[in-house]
Amino acid sequence: MTNKDNQILIDRLADAARDGKISRRSFMNYSMAAGMTASAATGLWGTSAKAAPSRGGTFRLGSHDGNTGDTHDPGTYVTFSMIQVAHTFRAYLTLIEPDGSLGPDVAQEWSASPDAKEWTFVINPKATFHSGKKVTADDVIASINHHRGEDTTSAAAALVSDVEELVKVDDMTVTFKLAAGNADLPWLMTDYHLAICPANDDGTIDWQSGDGCGPYKLVETEFGVNYRFVRHDDWHLEGAYFDECVVTVLNDPNARQTALVTGDVDAVTQIELKTLSLLQRDPNIEIDNVPSAAAITMPMFCDTAPFDNVDVRNALKHSMNRQEIMDKITFGTSTIGNDFHHSPAMPYWPEGLEQNDYDPDKAKSLLKKAGAEGLSTEISVADSVFSGAVDMCVLFSEQAKASGIDISVKREPNDGYYSDVWLKKPWCVVQWGARPTPDVMYSLAYKSDAAWNESRWQNERFNELLLKAKAELDNDLRAEMYREMAILAKDDGGTIIPFFPNFVYARRSNVKHGPELAASWQMDGARAASRWWFEG
Amino acid sequence: MGDILGLIGKRLGLGVFILFVISIIIFFMVELLPGDIAQAVLGQGATEENLAALRKQMGLDQPALVRYGEWLAGAVTLDFGSSIVTGERVTTVIGERFMNTLFLAAYAAVIAVPVAIILGVIVALLRNSIFDRVANVVTLSFISSPEFFLGYILILFFAVKWQMFPAISSLSEGMSLGELLIRTFLPALTLVLVVMAHMMRMTRAAIINLLASPYIEMAKLKGAPPWKVIVKHALPNAWAPIINVVALNLAYLITGVVLVEVVFVYPGIGQALVDAVSKRDFPIVQACCLIFAATFILLNLAADVGAILTNPRLRHPK
Amino acid sequence: MSVFVIGYYTLLLAVSCLAAFYNKRQIFMVAFGLTLVSFILGIVGGTAALQAVAICAGLLGLAAMVSFAFREFLIQISSAEMGKELRTAPMTAAFGMFVIFVYIIMGIFAPWIAPHGEAEVIASAFAPADENMLLGADQLGRDMFSRIIYGARNSVGLALAATIAAFVLGALAGLLAATKGGWFDQFMGRVADVIMSIPSLIFALLMLSIFGPHIHVIIIAVAVIYAPRVFRLTRAVAGNVVVMDYIEAAQLRGEGTWYLIRREILPNSTAPLVAEFGLEFCFVFLLVAGLSFLGLGIQPPTADWGSMVRENATLISFGDITPLIPAAAIALLTVGVNFVVDWMLHRSSGLKE
Repeated sequence: MTNKDNQILIDRLADAARDGKISRRSFMNYSMAAGMTASAATGLWGTSAKAAPSRGGTFRLGSHDGNTGDTHDPGTYVTFSMIQVAHTFRAYLTLIEPDGSLGPDVAQEWSASPDAKEWTFVINPKATFHSGKKVTADDVIASINHHRGEDTTSAAAALVSDVEELVKVDDMTVTFKLAAGNADLPWLMTDYHLAICPANDDGTIDWQSGDGCGPYKLVETEFGVNYRFVRHDDWHLEGAYFDECVVTVLNDPNARQTALVTGDVDAVTQIELKTLSLLQRDPNIEIDNVPSAAAITMPMFCDTAPFDNVDVRNALKHSMNRQEIMDKITFGTSTIGNDFHHSPAMPYWPEGLEQNDYDPDKAKSLLKKAGAEGLSTEISVADSVFSGAVDMCVLFSEQAKASGIDISVKREPNDGYYSDVWLKKPWCVVQWGARPTPDVMYSLAYKSDAAWNESRWQNERFNELLLKAKAELDNDLRAEMYREMAILAKDDGGTIIPFFPNFVYARRSNVKHGPELAASWQMDGARAASRWWFEG
Repeated sequence: MGDILGLIGKRLGLGVFILFVISIIIFFMVELLPGDIAQAVLGQGATEENLAALRKQMGLDQPALVRYGEWLAGAVTLDFGSSIVTGERVTTVIGERFMNTLFLAAYAAVIAVPVAIILGVIVALLRNSIFDRVANVVTLSFISSPEFFLGYILILFFAVKWQMFPAISSLSEGMSLGELLIRTFLPALTLVLVVMAHMMRMTRAAIINLLASPYIEMAKLKGAPPWKVIVKHALPNAWAPIINVVALNLAYLITGVVLVEVVFVYPGIGQALVDAVSKRDFPIVQACCLIFAATFILLNLAADVGAILTNPRLRHPK
Repeated sequence: MSVFVIGYYTLLLAVSCLAAFYNKRQIFMVAFGLTLVSFILGIVGGTAALQAVAICAGLLGLAAMVSFAFREFLIQISSAEMGKELRTAPMTAAFGMFVIFVYIIMGIFAPWIAPHGEAEVIASAFAPADENMLLGADQLGRDMFSRIIYGARNSVGLALAATIAAFVLGALAGLLAATKGGWFDQFMGRVADVIMSIPSLIFALLMLSIFGPHIHVIIIAVAVIYAPRVFRLTRAVAGNVVVMDYIEAAQLRGEGTWYLIRREILPNSTAPLVAEFGLEFCFVFLLVAGLSFLGLGIQPPTADWGSMVRENATLISFGDITPLIPAAAIALLTVGVNFVVDWMLHRSSGLKE
């Protein structure tokens, strides 16, 4: 490549960076490939990626997954539209930055004791509730306590079960005392349930009034229909460029699509993948396709025949043509899975592990070894797991025929799938939301005594490593342990992970965002309202 | 007329009894549903302990019969209780939505019923002509595709291609009636297309069924023009089945519009009902079903009274 | 002026003149009317519009020829008496019978007719049509044509079973209620009211969630949901018949209930019932599609037209016709069934025109 070519490439990269079309990571990779030094590339990134956002306008967002029975109680947040709403008017102790790192929100800094058993958070003095009241240590303690204790009704109780005591050091400082060391505690504080709400005098929180300390004030609420916000001028962080914001619940995929095409809304979540390529042709619409830490899993009960035999499990892992599934079910908007629940969008991802690939011959020989030739089994699935879930199983069942395996697909009712099928049927399909760190994920669903050990997998070495890694503050050592755990899960575990779905959402082209998008939730970590802006 | 009033009174009494039976059926069907309300509220992420806590908070630790008894005691005094999930009064949750549903149903009915009956009379008059065939094929094709699909096609043409009407019918306060009619035109049109075929064909069938009767032959022999034979002589005797089908379809306009509501994002009662079923929110399910049932009973009563009024022979049972 | 346009008008005018010469009034009106309309269409829409008209007319003609030939075929193979009846069938009814016949053949011999398996993945997603796949591929790369053919077996079979069950239940109860009257009539009426008062989709959702989504549960659920509609109609129609003098006469003769129903009431109330059957049949299709919307329909990978429409419905927003194909399959059958129903209605009404 000549120097001139390189210059053209660099200019193009700079343009792409300005328009927010490429991420920082790929920008750095390409620039260095084009012969730039790392520091020069960083400098160029800094100048090109800072297209100054303009303020103003009403941002109208169409969101999927809303229910008339939603409430403002942060402990019972379950639908995505409420997660979106919560990130618009409430704030958390910490947050996940667009580049995937951990950043300050209500807490401006935090530090740990060497054994990671005590964490101290210092509250940003600028943080105020919409009522005008300052955020204090009492509010933080009450907000976390909402999810603790015997009679809590919060779905986040498991997340903070390790917290033994919350100590108010002074008005702006809180110390968390844990039962066991946890290097990930600040990451946990980004969980959508753990919103900071104003405390009542009796130590409970006031979630009913809809007061919060986030970027926007809630002015109108109709659950399952729409929510209206105006900017909170005293917000403690940068951003919140829109004057007003409206979140409308559009449960039907076609309604979301047409509302965006006709300009009735400015951005929508969850694009139906079948029509993705058709929607892309519209010049007024930009698609955001973001690799995420969400995952599709197919857990098999490791204590139930035929899945109690590791060779049978591995035969099934090698009977799946992941590439075809990704092409046909997700239309390329996914990242390949390798049967360990650790997505490349999470920290400490182990690179370069051997891929569990489609190999019917290997599967056949594994089955022969297990004495289970001509295996016949059943997988349970529902349409609601994700769009295309049933199709994926049908396709998998076709692929597995090459290994002499007969998989019959049982479509279960959408209604009550997670209470009647998940953890009850020996083999089913599950969608997991993005979790911030591998520790959270593994502790939730792979630890031998975890309540949701969905594959009933028991591996002593894995559990030992899990506990060790949890309290390890040295990042390199941790990465090494997660690597070994990934290999164990991949070769011995009971979960098939076909792919990690990307978040695919769309906006009108006059809506702009920064060069990178957070991988924690759709819509830039559900923070589009405070991070995005209208063009000039 | 006295006997008709008596009949109405009797039927209203029966209606209350039917509502009672329905409330029992719905209650126990919701009870029998697999899965658990606490699980439905907290989602995939709940632990055993907080499920138990939530159940206690919602009063689900009491036996089913006790809970039904409590609900019934309230319902008798017209107090339909509060949502188990959100704790809001049932009346506040569904009151406005029910008005929205009624508005949409009325909008569709005002267009569909007269058009369907007039068309039905015309195709009966012009039976076996090209017009009859075309009207037949067109209306049948409309009801052959699922209604959400019909909605998509209307959106494609009226909202995306020609941009005549908005694609989503979200309502806001302070809308003028004209604006309201425009915003809700597409869902109303979808409903019109869905219910028209049934009413039109029944009108046609009921009229043709009578055309061979001696009194119609007589009218023809008298030299009355065909339209007069049908409108003056056949139609009055065909009212019973027509009114029946009209009542059925009016009820459908109110109770069966869930999918249309979803497609056009219209805040009606159907969506609230489906949401409540998925969350096992019994008081809301119960209230919605009872509203639907009451609508139905009243429409049926109207249909029966109409049938009796149009056929004097039924007025004096032998 | 292309050759096509010249040929187009020449043909139309020739047909008009011939029709006028042989005194065929209706044909003349249609042909000449079309000529006049074509002048305007040709100016507004150009040659393309005329071509579209020609294609439509050609298809219509083809359908008419097929219907005619099929009617002759039926007349040839049936007995003399049946043949006489069939001769009175209008062209539309013959067309309806042809459609039903084709669907029956498709359903019965699906595995031999379909070029590919029901669930067999042979191409990439939404592959366009080629000589191997007549209608292209669906979202998984399965042959659309084969799935339509298998769908005839599954969807029509299910809808037919459910509709017949609903009719047997509903009509029987309705006739009995009309004849017996009194408390039985009241009781059945209330039972029907109760079932009908519960919204059908919710009722089906509850039933299938409780008993599981098996085929027989679907059939029973649909039958229970639709039987009251049939019951009410039968009751209303038979109610009008029961008050007739000839029924009273039969009662005075001392005939039993069963005789009354079979010989007096049923023959005099078939017409609206038959009309209802044609419509209920396609409502059942839609209810089954609605059920699969809630994840409770037929189990995959079984092909079912309703689900096939639903799976690809959003594509229609971009003018992609994939979801129209199964929808057209449903529409064609509905139209066909109702054409036959219309003819039977006409016959049973005793009209001779």
